Amino acid sequence: MGLLFSRLFSSLFGNKEARILVLGLDNAGKTTILYRLQMGEVVSTIPTIGFNVETVQYNNIKFQVWDLGGQTSIRPYWRCYFPNTQAIIYVVDSSDTDRLAIAKEEFHAILEEEELKGAVVLIFANKQDLPGALDDAAVTESLELHKIKNRQWAIFKTSATKGEGLFEGLDWLSNTLKSGGG
Amino acid sequence: MFSLIYGLWRYIFSKTEFHVLILGIDKAGKTTLLEKLKGLYLNLEGIPPDRIVPTVGLNIGRIEVGNAKLVFWDLGGQPGLRSIWEKYYEEAHAVIYVVDANCPSRFEDSKSVLEKVLRHQDLHSAPLLILANKQDLPGAVSDEELARYLDLKKLDERVYMFEAVSAYDGRGIKESIGWLVEEMERSKRTEMLRRRTPAP
Repeated sequence: MGLLFSRLFSSLFGNKEARILVLGLDNAGKTTILYRLQMGEVVSTIPTIGFNVETVQYNNIKFQVWDLGGQTSIRPYWRCYFPNTQAIIYVVDSSDTDRLAIAKEEFHAILEEEELKGAVVLIFANKQDLPGALDDAAVTESLELHKIKNRQWAIFKTSATKGEGLFEGLDWLSNTLKSGGG
Repeated sequence: MFSLIYGLWRYIFSKTEFHVLILGIDKAGKTTLLEKLKGLYLNLEGIPPDRIVPTVGLNIGRIEVGNAKLVFWDLGGQPGLRSIWEKYYEEAHAVIYVVDANCPSRFEDSKSVLEKVLRHQDLHSAPLLILANKQDLPGAVSDEELARYLDLKKLDERVYMFEAVSAYDGRGIKESIGWLVEEMERSKRTEMLRRRTPAP
């Protein structure tokens, strides 16, 4: 899987620095996904500004992960991580139906950010292995994805712990970015 | 004063933006069509057909034809995903409905899905282009034959056209888009949508 992934993404961005943000509420499975992709060591940093950002550097692409939601005082600092973002991977715990409404609000708030206007959006309806997990159509509905009309998006059912669906999603992402998506 | 004249100049010369929905059941060839459109109008190498995966979301393509800017919304056609189509109706200027002309066993399915689309009030008077796709395959039925198969009723008030195309090799596409642009430019619906969103 790691190898296939490397083939997908090598030469995709040339030598340009690129950024892919992996976002979602806490406990959505973001870090597990990064580990699953076996791209390298996940480095966890808690910078002085006070929120935890995990970074995987993969060739010239930086994958950066943090939790949305919670404390509003640190949010302005998120913007430090927005420039040059080509894609957002939004991870949702599909079995956590109680918090889907919050996941929706946070998601649409982040899409409003000026510097992220050009980024394509990949949604992982994660934790499909858990009982009661909503399917892709139901998550689409809950997140109100139809409100996105000016950029490309796709949703995939995933199970990070089993490694299912992740590769299909990234395949879409790499195709979309290659064909000048957004 | 300058800004006034500039504003007027922009108003007169700005290209009208049209939103075109690409709909159809799964495997009809909607995304292949979108990628072909990018190739034909932007000289951009779209995703090759064999790399295209079923759409589970929204693909977007932007092209310019003459004075018109077209924004295509290509939505996934699998049964579970069709429920979001209607969320895009209100802002759409026109609909392209893609049918796999090489697959008669699914014409009935295509027909009932299309009839449901056309019944929706939010698509009132939107021009409709029905594409008999996959003409590159030997078994594909012609546009006239497809029209007979679909046997659509209550289309009289709507501007519509059947065209034989191949999203694979590109035949028929430019003619179809040419027709659609012309129809959208003189459509009552375009006027209605313009009035709802005043020029900036």
